[in-house]
Amino acid sequence: MWQKWFSVKGKSLFSIAFSLHRLTGVVLTIYLCMHLAYLTSIRMGKEVFESFIATTVTPQFLIFDILLVLAGIYHGVNGLRLILHEFGLTYESRKSILYVSVAIVLIVWLIASYRMYTFVMGV
Amino acid sequence: MDVEFRIRRFDGEKSYWQTFNIPVKRGMTVLEGLYYIKENLDGSLTFRASCRMAICGSCAVKINGKPRLACETQILEIGNSLEVEPLDNFKVIKDLVTDFEGFFKKHEAVKPYLIRKDDNYEEPVELIQSPKELHAYYDFTLCVKCGACYSVCPAAATRDDYLGPAAITAAYRFNADSRDEGEKIRLALVCGDNGVWRCHFAAECSEVCPKQIDPAKAVQKIRFKSAIETIKSIFR
Repeated sequence: MWQKWFSVKGKSLFSIAFSLHRLTGVVLTIYLCMHLAYLTSIRMGKEVFESFIATTVTPQFLIFDILLVLAGIYHGVNGLRLILHEFGLTYESRKSILYVSVAIVLIVWLIASYRMYTFVMGV
Repeated sequence: MDVEFRIRRFDGEKSYWQTFNIPVKRGMTVLEGLYYIKENLDGSLTFRASCRMAICGSCAVKINGKPRLACETQILEIGNSLEVEPLDNFKVIKDLVTDFEGFFKKHEAVKPYLIRKDDNYEEPVELIQSPKELHAYYDFTLCVKCGACYSVCPAAATRDDYLGPAAITAAYRFNADSRDEGEKIRLALVCGDNGVWRCHFAAECSEVCPKQIDPAKAVQKIRFKSAIETIKSIFR
């Protein structure tokens, strides 16, 4: 039944936005669990935690981090759009607001990706 | 010009696709195409239709993945190949006919009629309404209960007891009517987790509504009202 959240055939951009919101929500929940497990590793000693850092804060992991940031930014910005509409505001302009929110997501994501790239690559 | 109709059929046990080629003239509607198939090619094809002018809402089907009224959709506007399916989120009875009993029960559940304390059928009085008061709800009276909004709603897809956009829009229509006095009764009915709070604002209902009613707007308006009433009730 839940597969219908991701059924977008014949649907409008709003349903695609809804499906992506669900998908990024699932991704962020899985990431949160992994992140908490990651942080808990510090209880096993500083060396263990630092070995995790050495494994994940690397150019090889950068692409996953960039995609994760995209998921986070999309979920956040789209969530704010939904809150705005659910407060009974601006639903008449919902198409324009959807385009604006996608533009905001892309701009913030590109800036964040550049900052992450320069940090990890040391350039 | 010949057009290919691919129809998803259901015989009570299995679902399958069947293809028909029919001659089409300019202006011919999908409903006329279905009647042509029934009268000339396969008399067992089953679909629901009545008024043929987008008033009764009986003929809503999925055409190339999107719910539309078959009677107001011209074949050549869609193209020379059509896929016709029954609406989603409804139990299919046969071919394109779906079970609307639950849909109408949900509609009935929100009390879609004027509720007044001074109902007097012996000596009825005229209820005066200004044009502004009429326009507050008029658009929402145009609903033909075709079920298109319900069929694309992701909340209705995952929970059978969700009232759905059509029923909540009907509740809003009467709540916004200046002659009505049943707002609190209806708010109590629609503010549960099977009501307005189940909506995730996918807004697809407004995109597919053949009467351009904007059910998503009605759901958000009644949700906001419901939130205000709930907060007020805490301080009472």
